[in-house]
Amino acid sequence: MEQEKILSIENLVIKFKLRGQTLTAIRDISLDLYKGESLAIVGESGSGKSVLVKSIMGLLDKNGYIDSGQIIFDGHDLSKFKTEADWLKVRGKKIAMVTQDPMTSLNPLKTIGKQIEESVILHQGLKGKDAYEKTLQLLRDVGIHEVERRYGQYPHEFSGGMRQRIVIAIAVACNPQILICDEPTTALDVTIQAQILQLLTNLQEKYLLTTIYITHDLGVVAKVADRIAVMYAGDIIEVGQTNEVFFNAKHPYTWALISSLPQLGIKGQELYSIKGTPPNLFKEIKGDAFAPRNQYALKIDFVERPPFFKVSDTHYARTWLLDPKAPQVSPPEVLLAFFKGEGQ
Amino acid sequence: MIKYIAKRLGQSILTLFIIVTIVFSLLRLMPDEGYLGAAAEKMSLEQQEVYLTNLGLRDPLLIQLKNFYIGLFQGDLGKSVTYRTDVPVLDIIQDKMMYSIVFGLGAVALSLLVGVPLGIFMAQFKGRWLDRLGTGYIVFVVAVPAMVYFLMIQMYISDWFNLPMLFDEYNPKSFILPLFCLALGPIASYAMWMRRYMVDELNKDYIKLARAKGVTERTIMFSHVMRNAFIPMAQYLPATILFTITGSIYIESLFSIPGMGGLLVDAIQRQDNNVVQGLVLVFSSLGIIGLILGDILMAIVDPRIKLGKGDSVR
Repeated sequence: MEQEKILSIENLVIKFKLRGQTLTAIRDISLDLYKGESLAIVGESGSGKSVLVKSIMGLLDKNGYIDSGQIIFDGHDLSKFKTEADWLKVRGKKIAMVTQDPMTSLNPLKTIGKQIEESVILHQGLKGKDAYEKTLQLLRDVGIHEVERRYGQYPHEFSGGMRQRIVIAIAVACNPQILICDEPTTALDVTIQAQILQLLTNLQEKYLLTTIYITHDLGVVAKVADRIAVMYAGDIIEVGQTNEVFFNAKHPYTWALISSLPQLGIKGQELYSIKGTPPNLFKEIKGDAFAPRNQYALKIDFVERPPFFKVSDTHYARTWLLDPKAPQVSPPEVLLAFFKGEGQ
Repeated sequence: MIKYIAKRLGQSILTLFIIVTIVFSLLRLMPDEGYLGAAAEKMSLEQQEVYLTNLGLRDPLLIQLKNFYIGLFQGDLGKSVTYRTDVPVLDIIQDKMMYSIVFGLGAVALSLLVGVPLGIFMAQFKGRWLDRLGTGYIVFVVAVPAMVYFLMIQMYISDWFNLPMLFDEYNPKSFILPLFCLALGPIASYAMWMRRYMVDELNKDYIKLARAKGVTERTIMFSHVMRNAFIPMAQYLPATILFTITGSIYIESLFSIPGMGGLLVDAIQRQDNNVVQGLVLVFSSLGIIGLILGDILMAIVDPRIKLGKGDSVR
């Protein structure tokens, strides 16, 4: 199945200046996004997932900058965008974002109707009554009842799940091509999470959106993603179809990540956790960033950064273990059982 | 809302009643000279006794209190004893208050007009030269004793711009310097708070979402941040405005403005109990009214505050 690329990140390097030091947050990432798919970017806190998507929207903090590489979208290289006017052509209009914490993401002093309408007016060219009608329509779309009454209410009159629906409505109101969901369910109750994910999936179909999910919750990934990119210390170390990454993972970090799923724990035993801490990004990283924490690390892992080894047409992993010369290593027992049990 | 206001009003009247009663009782504990004035020296002890009895000061305390409140409701605060003998206290206060109101309101208007925009710009250009300049100004005004720069202003600026050094009711130019001096402090505090609340708001998540939906920085500033930053200030605004009525002791004496500023001190020094009592009543009423108005204003501008139980959603 040949798919159309909608966004293409090539050799992106993002650095931050912090108290006179330079931190490399994104280390030479390349990633393609295909039209209509939903891609999940997973990784632990500080792995650079948020920085990556912020750079797509030009929302990096002031001390962050794109050092090299390009972000090709819609015929433009976003990494060259400097002025606000440049970004406003893309931000909101073509790429919209659902933010993390619905409790604080809405302006407490504006009615939710006005906040959605702001998007509608900005990006859909509607005014007055039309904009109002469209706003009501969007409220209905995200599953809010009694929309006329709700239109005039303030954020504090809504529950967390409802507010996240409104944040989603704001994003969809922009009529974007790409919707970025930055941990859309992290701040929500488990019971609400499933509803919000279902809503996002429905909207994706209805509005033909391409979505990027950023999350560290593998449960979310399994529910919504077509493809997964696993990030560690500012690099993508494995990327592939959801099934491939879940049930045929190749990178030891991905193994570790899946092993730490509570569902795989055995009763009475301690849950698996990855030993050690992620590397210091202020220092230059040599070889595979995960090597110091990796029980399967080879000598070369400490010397040279592994290239992407092809596992299948859609599945690539950055680990020397896939090199023909590498010793045969099989994933941990727990994982093998998991791969077999649910892989089919 | 109405229920809430009524409740707050009731509480305030009770507070006012308690304050006035306490002040009344305290003044009755003071030596009797406070009611005799200059006449004391000419009177024998018996005469003084008769005089005080005639004033009702030898009645039981509760009766005195009752009489005092009856007078109060008739708009009678008693007569000045020593300050301006036999002039009703209310008249004295009214005369002086007019000057302080004019200067006070002028200064508040000036400091709002200058201070709030200054704070906004400081927040917008945080860390740049305008912000530093403003911070420098604020630190100067707060840290340097006011009399130092008031005196400088009176001596030098009046000279440079050829402005009168002292207040003269019939010369509009003489209003400029006192107003300027009065506004310096409030400008600094409005700018400081406005900047601080703006910076607070700018770091909030909803600003990130507004940016992400493609709103321009300008619109974010004006339509999202400014109003939200003004809310915490709204609460104190009525109180600051009302309190300008009480005048500034230093500036009024510096420019010889016949305002309220020094009245309380004068009245206490001259042991004019009736004037002190009247002034305390005025000051505490102003304070309490300021607080209520602040609460009400806050409730009007901030939809999250639903005053009074029962009418909140959920």
